[in-house]
Amino acid sequence: MRDVAIIGVGAHPSGRFMEKPLKALAYPAIWGALDDAGVKPTDINVAYVGNSLGGLLTGQEGVRGQVVLQHSGITGIPIINVENACASAMTALRGAWLEVASGQADIALAVGVEKMNVGDNARTIGALSGVSELDLSELGMQFTTSYAIHPKINLKARMQEYGWTAADFAKPAVKNSYNGSLNPLAQHRKPLTIEEVVQSRIIVDPLTLLMCSSISDGAAAAVLCSVDMAKRFSSKTKITIASCVLQSGVYRLPGDERPDSATTSSQAAYERAGVGPKDIDAIELHDAMAPSELMLYERLGLCGPGDGPKLIDEHVTTLDGSQPVNPSGGLCSRGHPVGATGLLQICELVWQMRGEAGKRQIEKRPKVTMAQNQGGLLLGQDSAVYGCTILKS
Amino acid sequence: MKILNPDNLRIPTEPGATPCLLGNRCWDCSTVVFPKMPVCPSCHHNGHMDEIEIGRTGKLYSHTISHFAPKGFTAPAFQIFVDLPEGPRIFSLVGRGLPVERGMLENGMAMKLVVEPLADTPEHREELTYKYVPAGARA
Repeated sequence: MRDVAIIGVGAHPSGRFMEKPLKALAYPAIWGALDDAGVKPTDINVAYVGNSLGGLLTGQEGVRGQVVLQHSGITGIPIINVENACASAMTALRGAWLEVASGQADIALAVGVEKMNVGDNARTIGALSGVSELDLSELGMQFTTSYAIHPKINLKARMQEYGWTAADFAKPAVKNSYNGSLNPLAQHRKPLTIEEVVQSRIIVDPLTLLMCSSISDGAAAAVLCSVDMAKRFSSKTKITIASCVLQSGVYRLPGDERPDSATTSSQAAYERAGVGPKDIDAIELHDAMAPSELMLYERLGLCGPGDGPKLIDEHVTTLDGSQPVNPSGGLCSRGHPVGATGLLQICELVWQMRGEAGKRQIEKRPKVTMAQNQGGLLLGQDSAVYGCTILKS
Repeated sequence: MKILNPDNLRIPTEPGATPCLLGNRCWDCSTVVFPKMPVCPSCHHNGHMDEIEIGRTGKLYSHTISHFAPKGFTAPAFQIFVDLPEGPRIFSLVGRGLPVERGMLENGMAMKLVVEPLADTPEHREELTYKYVPAGARA
């Protein structure tokens, strides 16, 4: 297997872009990545395109990748469509990485794109419910409920177990809203206070509106090539993919003592990259509901059980901390166009590692970074997809 | 009226018999799953699953009130997970009659299965499904 570099990234801002179809959202992200890498459309040997809800929400049930890429001038190559719920983009990245690592392709493109604003939020929520196994979604179960009380995370139970308060739940949202306020690509750019987050209306007890990621349109892309070829195209900081791990959820019965899948997927990523949690300089993680960031701190090995809020109180995971988490603003502030999120995370890490993150630049430029992305929900108490990528410069 | 998912729910017609869920139990390792699946998730044996009746009662594992309904459902509504004595932990809605307020449910409380329309909406009024209510509630 060859070492693989990310030589170009690009993103469309996240937010509400009613007039833009999928291909119009993807176009600036794709060309942003091509121009950043210094490659032409004809240089791309293979492309993976992640999208989750486009079939139901736009009516473009098939060949979304080919439609989106033809609009951007990329044709006549293998194009693989990837649907893996909120981890579609990280799955697309993994496909592109394997193509280059295996020597099948020299230059590969990974794209994630999502169009969620279609003028009927109930329809969008319905489509989102459809990335849970139908046995759950047909009973009216929603993602917000899954974070609140589903056994895989059960934030409500954490309040009992750890003594976490509503204010603790609000802390990641407040931290990330500050980061997002510095990010011109972010959907929500207003810094929030603990009071505002706690007092916003309850969506699913104990989660309030400002603790939840919102409906979003957006896109992101990355150009990958072999490390040997990277010099030919880009003089920017060399960034390599040290590991890219994907795991499906595991059927868990009550009393199952095995570590959860966010833990096992991140452990595999650390192991393959030859690093540990303490070596990571910056992290983008899947805070679909803000307080889930506190649980992910534990699962990624950043702190012990229940210590999540301390990492924010003690300025460890803030932008000025030793391990900033979600410098982009994360899913709640930057935005969560679901099929684009994994690559939006990668874009942010690349910009941070190159020192190109503008006002939200982490002062000590990160050298080892991690993106954690997950999605879907299965029977048997687990998410459907867990992805974890470690980058090195 | 039709049963939303007849493979999951048995509504007996004999007098005195009560409705129940239909799950699978593995011949080899006795793991019980709901809904049914042909391969045991614990020992991975294929085709060794027997259909069994489960879930007439349960214990409340977790609960919340959802204040936003997907299309075809109403809010506010309880959403819960129930531990069945046979093993599975399942998602469910709560049967009617219980005011949707904090303090009405307590984790660990005994629950029992009832059969009701999925939701009191034009989309789901004619679809029967299982729900759970506190065991002390109406018959």
